[in-house]
Amino acid sequence: MRASYKWLKELCLFEATPEQVAERLTSAGLEVEGQKRYGDLPGVVVAEVRAKRPHPSRDKLNLVTVFDGERESEVVCGAPNVPAAGKRVLFARSGARLPNGMVIGERNLGGVVSNGMICSEIELDTGAEADGIVVLADELSALPGTPVASALGLEDTVFEIGLTPNRPDCLGHLGLARELSAILSVPLRLPTATVPRALRPAKSSASPARPVVLFAAQASVGGEPLANAELEVRDGERCPRYATAVVEGVTVATSPFWLRYRLHVLGLRAINCVVDITNLVLLEYGYPTHAFDLQRVRGERIVVRTAREAESIETLDGLVRTLASDDLLICDAERPLAVAGVMGGLESGVHAETKRVLVECAYFDPRAVRRTSRRLGLHTDASHRFERGVDPRAVPGVLARVVSLICELAGGATAVHGFEIYPEAIKPREIRLRVERIERLLGASPPEGRAREILAALGCEVEGSGTATLLVRAPTWRPDLTREEDLIEEVARIWGYGEIPTDVPRVRASLHGAEPHTRFVRRLKERAAAVGLTEAVNLAFVSPRQLDQARAPQPAVRVANPLSEERSVLRTSLLPGLAANVLRAQRHQVSHVSVFELARVFRPTNELLPEERHKFALVLAGERASFLGDGALYDFYDAKGLLEAICTPLARRPLETFIDEQLAEQQPSLHPRRSARIRVGERVVGMLGELHPDVAEALELTGPVIYAELDVAELLAAGSAELAPQLRPVPRFPSSRRDLAVAVDEASEAGAVGAALREAGGALVEAVELFDLYRGGQLPSGKKSLAFRITYRDPEATLTDQRVDEAHGRVVKAAERLFSAALRA
Amino acid sequence: MAQADIVREFEEVLERLRGAHVAAFEGAKSEHELREQNARFVGPAGELTLLMKRMREVPGDKKRELGQRTNAVKSEIELRFTERLAALARALREAELSGPRLDPTLPGRAVRLGRLHPITQVTHQLLDVFASLGFDVADGPEVDLHEHNFDMLGFPPDHPATDMQDSFYISRDGAIDQRSLLRTHTSTIQVREMLKRKPPLAVVAPGAVYRRDDDATHSPMFFQIEGFVVDEGVTFAHLKGVLTRFLQALFGSDVAVRFRPSYFPFVEPGGEIDIHRNGRWMEVLGCGMIHPVVFENVGYDPERVSGFAFGMGVDRMAMLLYGIDNIKQLYENDVRLLTQF
Repeated sequence: MRASYKWLKELCLFEATPEQVAERLTSAGLEVEGQKRYGDLPGVVVAEVRAKRPHPSRDKLNLVTVFDGERESEVVCGAPNVPAAGKRVLFARSGARLPNGMVIGERNLGGVVSNGMICSEIELDTGAEADGIVVLADELSALPGTPVASALGLEDTVFEIGLTPNRPDCLGHLGLARELSAILSVPLRLPTATVPRALRPAKSSASPARPVVLFAAQASVGGEPLANAELEVRDGERCPRYATAVVEGVTVATSPFWLRYRLHVLGLRAINCVVDITNLVLLEYGYPTHAFDLQRVRGERIVVRTAREAESIETLDGLVRTLASDDLLICDAERPLAVAGVMGGLESGVHAETKRVLVECAYFDPRAVRRTSRRLGLHTDASHRFERGVDPRAVPGVLARVVSLICELAGGATAVHGFEIYPEAIKPREIRLRVERIERLLGASPPEGRAREILAALGCEVEGSGTATLLVRAPTWRPDLTREEDLIEEVARIWGYGEIPTDVPRVRASLHGAEPHTRFVRRLKERAAAVGLTEAVNLAFVSPRQLDQARAPQPAVRVANPLSEERSVLRTSLLPGLAANVLRAQRHQVSHVSVFELARVFRPTNELLPEERHKFALVLAGERASFLGDGALYDFYDAKGLLEAICTPLARRPLETFIDEQLAEQQPSLHPRRSARIRVGERVVGMLGELHPDVAEALELTGPVIYAELDVAELLAAGSAELAPQLRPVPRFPSSRRDLAVAVDEASEAGAVGAALREAGGALVEAVELFDLYRGGQLPSGKKSLAFRITYRDPEATLTDQRVDEAHGRVVKAAERLFSAALRA
Repeated sequence: MAQADIVREFEEVLERLRGAHVAAFEGAKSEHELREQNARFVGPAGELTLLMKRMREVPGDKKRELGQRTNAVKSEIELRFTERLAALARALREAELSGPRLDPTLPGRAVRLGRLHPITQVTHQLLDVFASLGFDVADGPEVDLHEHNFDMLGFPPDHPATDMQDSFYISRDGAIDQRSLLRTHTSTIQVREMLKRKPPLAVVAPGAVYRRDDDATHSPMFFQIEGFVVDEGVTFAHLKGVLTRFLQALFGSDVAVRFRPSYFPFVEPGGEIDIHRNGRWMEVLGCGMIHPVVFENVGYDPERVSGFAFGMGVDRMAMLLYGIDNIKQLYENDVRLLTQF
């Protein structure tokens, strides 16, 4: 909402500067987001045209002699409307800087030197007219040399106010002025509407409710006392109040400068005086009204009804709109004239030849207007206000104000009649305010009497005295005031949130505590970062194509109204996002990527809500950390090592990876020979592997890319149930180590070999560690050598060589027997 | 052999060895050589060792004297050996200490450092402040019921306030299903927690939220932290106290904080908080006293309990703290950017 400082000052008698007004409005919840100064035009003055002659060489230019109060100068002017001598224009002297940044200087135009410029509206930012220069109306003319800002009253500051949707009352200057009057404790000055008072009965009507006369003319035109406009409202729910007034003998002309300028600074284009008046009242009361050319209202009859099937109307913007049966229309005897509360029709609008004007002022159901506006995709100044709720009780006053201005400005108006249909009076809401509740809610209360003062200044009627309970009738322009708390907010708001003290509550201890899950997620992330992974946060939206490329689980949850196909489904795997991150890094020649993400994936269910599971995923690509070129590319075992480092301390159980023949089928994103399931304790918690080369290719990734994905809930559940790790005594007796290398088939798993050795060794074996893996050399092909270091220990005694030899002998035998293993020295 | 011969031989050998070992030890250039030379005299087959084995052949009257002289030579050899050994070790140490220098300008052997995403870092920082004030942390689903996201928070159906929250709905059998949507704010967790628990409550809830906006300052998915306190006697002054303390913990104790009224359907009175930074006021969070309608919807008695709630954009906080000006940068996951934080 744009608001003029100057206008507010006319409506409310304050002394505050624009900066102060902005600050006070903001601290009362009407956030001033920007300010713009108007009329800052040094060097632009009123000048009198003294003579004009054609340009010697250029057809379309004139040489105009103007007197700017100090001297006469001849300037070149290209405008088609240079007036006769004696008229006054606006003249920018040499050196003047115009709002568009242009600095006036000496110019040579077709061999004639011009010093200064006669200005148009658009050049001075006083209006939108660009086709001709401003010629001052006689009544506006100030003496030549008068600065234009003071001659035309241009100085103003326009505020851009970010209004919250609960404050429709502030969509007009009057509402804002009322706020200022409450904030600054200064009186409000309401605009006047002088309307003839004589009343006449209305003509009969087919409406269920009979129209009543609001006001009528004291005089008549051509012996016909009342316009024949009959009123009929067929849908009282969508239209609880409808009023019209007829003004005869109107001359539709250009509006006076002050009106055009006011509309201009507030962002509206001047059209003609009748339309401009409805716009002025829109900005004044925040109340949309509409003016019809009565000549074009067939049957001089207004019917308010919902649209018929496939009915259409050409709206003011020149588009033909097809309506739905839920849309409310303003019609004449034959067809629609306007979409109620949204936009008027092109045909029935006021135009230059209009003589008889029918003004509409109505209260429409906010929700109905909103539905229609949404359906038509048509958001207008009118619909914006009706949707939020205008003041139903303001109808007669607003109508009178429009009519009064038409009488005043659209010269020659001679007859006025007003009718309305308003079957059920809308009453102000009554709210009880227990004074002690103010302090109970705020922790403090304003000085005695201030609360009452504030509510009254905002337009509430307050009954009751003292400190117990007040009966407050909230004004109907404040649909947001419905309960006690709303009134307390008003008191706090105007008093000032800054006035309320600060205090710290004693937060009472809760038995609930943090959920283990949220703590676990945090520890998991922190450990992942600690072992060298960088966290990514990707959007949950992906495209179906991305899921296909990543061979992610399907089906996915679809967004009904996505922003684009690229973001139309919810991820079922963290791979698409992380793959995109790797791709980005590779495109920027980043030598290695080691990234993790912890986020939810979504799968559809038969319930209303999808299944959401937290997944932890990591991706490795490029060079592992190296020293002076001894580096190699990340592989499976880098990821496994990282996962062990991340998970083992959290789970306090070892992490194992194992082959599962079903994995390739269930997780086709991974390389069938270079992937494994991950188990912690008894639970399978995820999978790990190199991306399937087809998948990597589809995702445009280069080199081996290692990916692992773990289910966070499973990992949490897989952890040790012990509250804390239990102490194991440090061994008191020495251990004895023996090394053993066995050559086994390539297909043998080191884990199985180690486990068998351990079992063969019996109780004395403390640990079996693989410390070397060797292929080639003297080994036959298809064989690999695994070297194990076996630690023997008796926790209760010092081992003798003999006992170690016995145990180790069993290990060696088992190796030979189980793996046909050739022992290596 | 004659007794006189053996005595003479003893004397000859002892005489020779007394001088010989000195030259031999001096001539040794390494520990190994030294030990070899030493073995020549006192090793198992050393000259002196062999000599001593013949002591029993020495006649009784000479035994004592020759024994003493032999032992003296042996001690002498041992002493010289030890001295020479120490000298050689010292020489070696000296050589090592004056040898070639290492190149200290070679790079360190890399330990890769990981980083948490700025959003996570800020989230943890924010949660820590609230944890220190006694708040619990709660979580809820990202796809939630319309009821939790709007209705129970007091959004009337069709109300223009929903203009502020253009939402992503979920498709069911190819059609839009308005009953479930991607939550537009973490206030859903407020509703869920209140339905689940009874006052007193002090809870913060972080999480991803979704709105149909996409430009330099809006991402369709972003992160919020919601917090609320419900108990008897909770006031707006408490709200101010908690949030002021929170902002001081985050932005420094001298940060200027401004509370101004604003509107959210589920609070009354409602407000927004600005902090003064880089010469201007910047909005950092929304807050207010929980609307009695919300209490009624979850079965609390608004006459008995009151509470406040607040919500803030974690992205916005991260952008403010780290000087990020385009929200998109937070979700591009450019590793060159992520490793800066």
